[in-house]
Order: sequence, then C-alpha cells, then structure tokens
Amino acid sequence: MGEVMTAQGRALPADDTADLREIGFRSLDFSELALRVEDELGDELNFDAPGLRRIATVGDVLDFIEQLQSA
Amino acid sequence: MSSRRRTTALIGDDNTVVVAGKRLTWRTLHKLPQLPSPAAVLVDNGADALAALRHHAVHGTELLVATESRVDERMREELGESGFAVVLPDGAVTPARLKRVEESGRAWLLTSGSTGRPKRIGHTLESLTTVTADQPPRTWLLPYSPGTYAWWQVVTLSLTQADQGLVVIEPHELENWPAIAAEHGVTAASGTPTFWRQAIYRDADALAGVPLEQITLGGEPVDQAILDQLRELFPATRISWIYASSEVGASIVVHDGKAGFPRSWLDRDPHPERPVVSVDGDELVIRSPHHGAGLVGAVRTGDRVEFDGDRVLITGRLDTDEINVGGSKVSAGVVRNVLMGHPGVSWARVFARKAPLVGRMVAAEVVPNRSLGPITDADLVQWCSTRLPDYGVPRRIRFLDEIPQKETLKSDV
Repeated sequence: MGEVMTAQGRALPADDTADLREIGFRSLDFSELALRVEDELGDELNFDAPGLRRIATVGDVLDFIEQLQSA
Repeated sequence: MSSRRRTTALIGDDNTVVVAGKRLTWRTLHKLPQLPSPAAVLVDNGADALAALRHHAVHGTELLVATESRVDERMREELGESGFAVVLPDGAVTPARLKRVEESGRAWLLTSGSTGRPKRIGHTLESLTTVTADQPPRTWLLPYSPGTYAWWQVVTLSLTQADQGLVVIEPHELENWPAIAAEHGVTAASGTPTFWRQAIYRDADALAGVPLEQITLGGEPVDQAILDQLRELFPATRISWIYASSEVGASIVVHDGKAGFPRSWLDRDPHPERPVVSVDGDELVIRSPHHGAGLVGAVRTGDRVEFDGDRVLITGRLDTDEINVGGSKVSAGVVRNVLMGHPGVSWARVFARKAPLVGRMVAAEVVPNRSLGPITDADLVQWCSTRLPDYGVPRRIRFLDEIPQKETLKSDV
C-alpha cells in the first residue's frame, strides 16, 4: 500500500484507522494494490470471493487484501 | 487448361526477384510440377509461393497460397471438403474430397486471424492489383508471410508493373534484413509498425544504410512516434501508411507523415476507383472497389476510430480497444500512442486487466529503448499522468526484453 501511495507522490499514514478519503486513496489505487498482490503471488486472485463490503480505512484495505490471498 | 480461363498480362515478368541470395526473374523462377486447380499450396519458403502465384497468373487457376504453419490439420480438411487439393511443401498432394468446377482466376486469401480463426476471402489478380498508375523504378523488400493481403499487394505490384524488383526475406532472415536489403539495393519497403520498430530497435544504423525512397506501413494501427522515428532516419524518403484488409482491400493511403487521416476524407462522394470511408458510432465502415468477393457495399471493419482535431485515428479492434475502468472508457490505442511517444519506449502493448472495484484496469507491456538508458514504471506512470485521464494511466507495467512479433509481422497490439 505504501508503494502505491509513494508512486502517487503521497505517504502512507502509520495509523490503520486513517480514512481512505482523507488520505486520497481512491478506488484506482485500491485496484492497483490488488494487481500488485496478484503479480507478487504470480497467481490470479478471485476478486469476487470476499463479496461486497465497506472499505473505508487503511485497515479495511489490508483486511480485504488478506482475504483475497486466502480465498 | 480450360479455354475459359482468364490470363493476366505479366508486364513485370522480367523484373528481378532475389530469393535466398539468388538473382532471378519472375520468368526464371522454378516451376511447380503438376499444380492442380483448385489448389491450396502450402509453402515453407518465399520462392515456392512466388512460383505458385506466377503459375496462377499464367494459367488462370484457382489458388490459395499460405505458409504451412498457418494452415492446421483441421483447416486442411476443410479445404479438401471445399474442393481444394492441398499441396504440401515437399510436393505431396492430398486430392480434394469434393469434386467441383474451378473458379477461373480466383485467388483466395486467409485473413490474418487476429479476430479468431482465419477465414477465406475471395479475390482475383485484378482486385488485388490496387496500384495501377505507373511507378518509378523500384526494388521492393518482401518481408510478408506468403498469402497475406500485404504479400499479395507487393507481389502483384512487381508482377504487373515494369521495373519493380523484389527481394524476398524469409522468416529466418528477418533479424538481418537491412543488410540483405542494402546488398541488393532495395529502395522500397513495406512492413507493419512492429516490423519497423524491430528494425530500429535492433540496429538503427543498419536500417539507415538501406537506400529507401519509399517506406510503407500497414497491418496495424500506425502511431505518430514510429512515423517520426522513420522520418528522422530517412529525411528525404516518402513515408506512407495504408489501411488495408483482405475484406476491403487497400482503402486509405496517407502520405503526409501524420498518424490518422483527414476528417474531410469521411463520406466523400462515391467514385469508381476510390473507397468511401465513413464512421458509424466509433466503427470504421468502408465501401471499397477493391473488396473481396461477396463483400459489395458498406463493410463494417471492426476497427475502432477516435477523432483528434481534424484527424481520424484508427486505434485498434473494436472488441478489445475500449477499456471500461469503473464506467470511464479509454482507448487502449490512445494509451499505447502516449506510451510510445516516450523517448525511452521502443514498443508497447496496452490491455485490460480484471481488477476489484473498477472491474478493469489499464495495464501495459513495454520494451525500453536500450540506447537511452534505463526507465522505470514510475517514469512512465508520470509521463502518462500528464497526458491521460487518471483512469487511462497504466498502473501495472511489465518490461520485456524483445519486441514480440508473429509470422504476420504483427504483435497483436
């Protein structure tokens, strides 16, 4: 997540409760993060598996990615 | 030979043809023994393909010529069931399963297959000979795979016009073609943008050593970057790009050194020798006098266009060019043009990747220009960010070591 933020010229806050809207982490950034994870694993992730859920904080993003990896 | 068969005056029969380093003419090319008609002649070298074509031109037979590798077992069976004897490179003939009367003078082309399985399009030497005005004496490079529309374009020019020599480039010679072309005095060459990119990427100095008076690009979307690179290497050469396909023939020819064609060319008054080009939605539609058999009238090309000021840009195939990123649409071709406008990029392919939340994201593969030092994905993201909307910026970029190129000289961009 830090790499995605850095590529956009921004910094990732240390606090997992930080609000995504406030730090400017948009859906495109989130998608990029998912693709980075996919590339890292060398395997396609099932993006539909975790289902719809609210992703509002840095912690939500990290939970979601963790879920994707274990799906 | 049937008395009803039509023959074509072979004005170029004494033109030089260089194959495998040997200097021949059309007339002195070897003859293929006992070529049946209709025949699907599968070849593994350019000389056999030219010999088959000349036989067709002299005797007015029905011919499909293609490389052996493009016609798999299933397609060979289909050809047999459609009345073609299949002739293999070693001369072995599988007789047709269906006996039928030949279509005198019919030449069959296989589409490039970029939209799926290759299909047959019927032509004649006349419909394939789109250059009819007198040409200055030239020696043409022939790098195209036998049987493709672009191959027919070059060979019919050489066979039907005086002083239009040919230098055949076999697939194993593609890496070294500029040296061969320089040795044999090639003055005109036609190739895909990928073909030209490869040549610049491998050895721009060797390319610049070829005394080219005419450069032609076609078969893939032509972007401004490749036109500019060629112009820099060849300041005095005529550089043209052609939109052509097996279905509609050569339909758009542009000589002004710019990508796309003038918007004023759309919907011009019908003319017997000139195609009528129009746009329906974002699809290129062409009504062409050079069309294949059964394709009379307006043909939907399946190619996508975008307007850029007074130019019409052909960006790619309709079914793959448009990428929908969370409801915002972007053309892969436009993104590719931006990437290839970066001086550190030799080649790029842009495509959609499935992604959460937005459905699809723009991704790219890039071959960097080795002579200009290293570039990073961050450099390219930044370059694109100042030229594209945020949803059009490729966020995932993979670097490749070589420009991929298929037998058709295309790279499926």
